[in-house]
Amino acid sequence: MKARFLKAAAALAVGAMLATTALTPALAETLKFVSWQKDEKGVGDWWASVIAEFEKRHPEHKIEWTKVERAAYADTMTTLFAGGNPPDIVHLASFEFHSFADNGWLEDLTPWTEKSGLNLDGWSGQKACNWDGQVVCIMMLYYGAIFAYNEEMLASEGVAVPTNWDEFLAAARKLTKDTNGDGIPDQFGTGHETKGGAGQYLAEMASYLLDAGASYTNAEGEVTIDTPEMVEGLQRWKTVISENLSPRDLSAGDIRKLFADGRIAMRVDGPWLYSIMEQGAAKDKLKLAKVPFDPPLGGSSNVLAMPSEIDEEKKELVWEFISIATSDEFQSSFAKLAASTPPSPRADVSAAKAEIPHFDLLVEAQQAANKAGVDRIPVGLEIPFNEFSKMIQEEAQRMIIEDLDPAEVAKRMHEKAVALQ
Amino acid sequence: MRKRKLIDLARPSRQHWLGYILLAPAVILVAAIIAYPLLISIDISFQDVKLPRMGAARKPFTLENYQDLFSSPEFWHTCWVTLKLVVVVTTACLAVGLATALLVNNRFRGRRIARLAVALPWAVPEVIATVIFAWIFDSSFGLMGWLFIKLGLANQMVAWFSDTTAAFWVVATTMVWKGYPFVSIMCLAGLQSIPEDFYNAAKVDGASALQRLRWITIPSLMPVLGVTMVLVVLWVFRDFSIIKVLTDGGPLKATQTLSIMTYNEAFGFFKFGYASAVGVITLLLCVIASMAMLGRGSKAMY
Repeated sequence: MKARFLKAAAALAVGAMLATTALTPALAETLKFVSWQKDEKGVGDWWASVIAEFEKRHPEHKIEWTKVERAAYADTMTTLFAGGNPPDIVHLASFEFHSFADNGWLEDLTPWTEKSGLNLDGWSGQKACNWDGQVVCIMMLYYGAIFAYNEEMLASEGVAVPTNWDEFLAAARKLTKDTNGDGIPDQFGTGHETKGGAGQYLAEMASYLLDAGASYTNAEGEVTIDTPEMVEGLQRWKTVISENLSPRDLSAGDIRKLFADGRIAMRVDGPWLYSIMEQGAAKDKLKLAKVPFDPPLGGSSNVLAMPSEIDEEKKELVWEFISIATSDEFQSSFAKLAASTPPSPRADVSAAKAEIPHFDLLVEAQQAANKAGVDRIPVGLEIPFNEFSKMIQEEAQRMIIEDLDPAEVAKRMHEKAVALQ
Repeated sequence: MRKRKLIDLARPSRQHWLGYILLAPAVILVAAIIAYPLLISIDISFQDVKLPRMGAARKPFTLENYQDLFSSPEFWHTCWVTLKLVVVVTTACLAVGLATALLVNNRFRGRRIARLAVALPWAVPEVIATVIFAWIFDSSFGLMGWLFIKLGLANQMVAWFSDTTAAFWVVATTMVWKGYPFVSIMCLAGLQSIPEDFYNAAKVDGASALQRLRWITIPSLMPVLGVTMVLVVLWVFRDFSIIKVLTDGGPLKATQTLSIMTYNEAFGFFKFGYASAVGVITLLLCVIASMAMLGRGSKAMY
């Protein structure tokens, strides 16, 4: 009797379970989104607004947003992909996505853009996302560099805002000084990161090289380092660093802080410098102007992508997230919240212009850099970019440490770059 | 008939089984954590793998990674830097650690505070200690540069991290500061286990303080020193954070050790096969060094 009762109860339970399963709608998904920009003022707020919009449109789904520090980002993403557990929404720096794409880990977004009708014509920096005949990512920022200076320091030395390399060098020399008389320079004409990541080291050198007319490769991807223009560019870099016109051995973060606090007179940097300036001790003395180098440094910054191996249902949701981020509405709010130039040509930046006094400068720099085809990642060296940038950093350091002739250094860089290709 | 137990731990011949059974879960877990990645790493080192993938089909066997490694001047330079750092840091840690242990082993007022001060660097997290040293040796605003100028040792700020020799010594100094308290604590424990009778007998025989150190303290401490030396050598071999934060192996690879090279090749240049080969060679070197030193240390005691 007892056994029969138990059998009946079990059958009922199984039946009820099957019935409820059949009636249940699609399971709620939690999309994993890893980013280094989570707590960044401005751009972090913008990402939060995109997530909020996604969750508003899809209340049954959630986005789990995790911050990973930039210094550990490549390691973390490599480990996640290698372990077969990539984030659903892939956020990568534009100098690191190529290896992931080359391994076939990123979805070809061409069918998705075609299906949704996302028009990428005129999308700044988007060309960099074309890999092996596929569109593997969407560029989220292509910036042009701005020139920031300490008005009080320049005025006290009777220096006008520089408009070219010669004026810049003269100003930097005049503004580097010992202000408290202890024999140790404590004010610097300019500031560059000379210690740390090779990618940033290249970005620091880039303005001098571009202004001298140099480039690492041409449009066809052929190495073009051993040229008189590159020799001139390297000579300029050597002059600035060897003459201690910049503090030595500091990270870009330290340099930005010193500039914001009034220890450095001039700095060429991306749009993000403004938010750091606003928090500095010398914020009232800091002004922005057009970069005294032509063309200005510009570059792709970060991309959104989709892993190729997640299931179709998740891919639909990830594309929905990308669609929100790339919509005209959110590209317009990007300009205002992140105080940066959005890549979309359809973004309405009037609100940003009304609120951010220097926004026109940002747009002008971005357009000038884009027109000149400037990017941090040389064509033809995308895959070995980390190795290439490390090599350039070491050779440039060797030039300064061992006081080598820039012509000799350019020749060696050229040979090594060709070997890497 | 009485049924026999499958495993009768009460039997005298089986009593030691209990120990093995209790240890088994931990041993299996540790083996899984250590042995599995190790085997994977060795396996990858024999394949041409750029970015690995768990569960992906195995690539053909190749010795290319090892051939490239042994023909690479960078690898031999890195080995030389690692060896220099191991010798310098281990020697300095042992000297400073032993000296401070001997000091705080004496009875004097404030001994507890002195012992605390000696052990303090050990308690400071490695990354925090490294950041502090990075600022002390900052090339533009650092205390050390200012001190050098005030003492007349330099006429301008020293670019510590832009000079290959200076950068090496900054890394070595930081490692010694962080590593000597461990030697000190180990030696202090060893010193307290030396019977006082040895010293009393030596004093009766007229042995000087130096002779007591040479013939009683050092030989009695040799087992402790041997093990400590192995642990310090292994720590220098595998330490990553101090070099990563201070110099990232630069300038011009002057501070690039095998562990930094492994990391850079794997996560910097996405060459996991090659990086695994560097890791395997590092492991072999550590095993050889440990075996050599442990044998020597254990023979040296009375």
